[in-house]
Amino acid sequence: MASSTGLSFKFSPLSTSFKQNQVPLRGICNGNSISLPSRRIRPGSLRLRVACAAKPETVDKVCSIVRKQLALPQDSSVTGESKFTALGADSLDTVEIVMGLEEEFGISVEEESAQNIVTVQDAADLIEKLVGQKAA
Amino acid sequence: MNIRCFQRNFCAAFPPLVPLQLPSPMETHLWYILPDEVKSWGLLNHYSELLSPCERESVNRMRGDQLKKRALLARALVRTTIARYQTNCQMNPRSLKFRNNLYGKPEVEWRNEDNLSPLPLHFNISHTSTMIACGVTVNVPIGIDIEEKQRRTKNNIIAFAQRYFSPYEVKVLTAISDPQVQRQEFIKLWTLKEAYVKALGKGFSALPFKTFTIRFRDTTMRNFHPPGTTVSEASDIIVESSDDPTNPANNWQCALLEVAGSHYGAICMEKDRIAGANAPMKLTAWKTVPFVEDVCVSGTDAVLALGGIIGQ
Repeated sequence: MASSTGLSFKFSPLSTSFKQNQVPLRGICNGNSISLPSRRIRPGSLRLRVACAAKPETVDKVCSIVRKQLALPQDSSVTGESKFTALGADSLDTVEIVMGLEEEFGISVEEESAQNIVTVQDAADLIEKLVGQKAA
Repeated sequence: MNIRCFQRNFCAAFPPLVPLQLPSPMETHLWYILPDEVKSWGLLNHYSELLSPCERESVNRMRGDQLKKRALLARALVRTTIARYQTNCQMNPRSLKFRNNLYGKPEVEWRNEDNLSPLPLHFNISHTSTMIACGVTVNVPIGIDIEEKQRRTKNNIIAFAQRYFSPYEVKVLTAISDPQVQRQEFIKLWTLKEAYVKALGKGFSALPFKTFTIRFRDTTMRNFHPPGTTVSEASDIIVESSDDPTNPANNWQCALLEVAGSHYGAICMEKDRIAGANAPMKLTAWKTVPFVEDVCVSGTDAVLALGGIIGQ
């Protein structure tokens, strides 16, 4: 029965997650066989990448720029996990948001990096990385 | 039988989908829905039953009813439209499988076990808050983009163009003194650039907007047109690579339209070698409500060619 307040779909939630753009894993190939490297791992040759989540202030600033671009009501929830597309951003919105972030943080975002931004958190993490690189 | 209260749930029966003829080479079929015209709950529920579980989940994740409806209509439009081109049997739109190519561009995944004969169909969709469009071609890739004519950018247009467009395009836009005209020319350029990148299907980063220029060129030569086709007075649309401006991207053809009086639409398709290098792009357009009606709008005011199309 249709609800009187708005659309209500009877969708059953799925437990399996749907991964788009699955990239095939590549093994190390030696001709036709796949082998693992057997040399000893020397200290110093291990590169640890510690991914730090962006500071809350950065996330908040991104949220506010997104809200402004998409003209979202103040009470609408925008968090680090919010996906741009789910909030209604089309490609022009996304590009404008990136431009807004560049101006706000004094950074320059390459198209390659911009393409990988899916959530607010992604944008915030990228900003901090670029700001960090600028300072270095 | 108690017939005092007719309480049986009445499910509106929807007619089967009307089959379609494939587009001919160098022809685009453009289908569009105006979401405000789709109000029936029964119809929306029927559409939702066509979607895969993943698609339904995606629709569910959209924030708010309007966005959910838009996402639902987009998937329903693609599924029903592609299904209708299946020639040998009644195609169930629910059976179609889709995947993304390596760069994220959606395409049909034809599998033998579905009793479908693979069709050389290519499609691309675009939507705004007031229109959902799907372009279909055979043999060659297609990209489309639609945008409301009155769309305003939050940023200053020239600042935006300086950041993202090519120097020539910035020059063209800067030379326009009327702000409304400047805004409309900006939107036209944006849709054309988007359509081109979507047609190539390699993602935004493979072809940053700054690396190519879209320009309009008046046609000085009038070719012979078969009787019955509407000849557009509009200009040619040329795509030039910034690296090699003397060698325009000759294997891609772009066209620009005004749709339903409210939108600019850009279509970009690869030229079909078999059809001939200079075969003009043809367009047939319909306004549709899947399962309900198709209205062919080619040659009417609902579809005005602004550039690049010769036959409608």
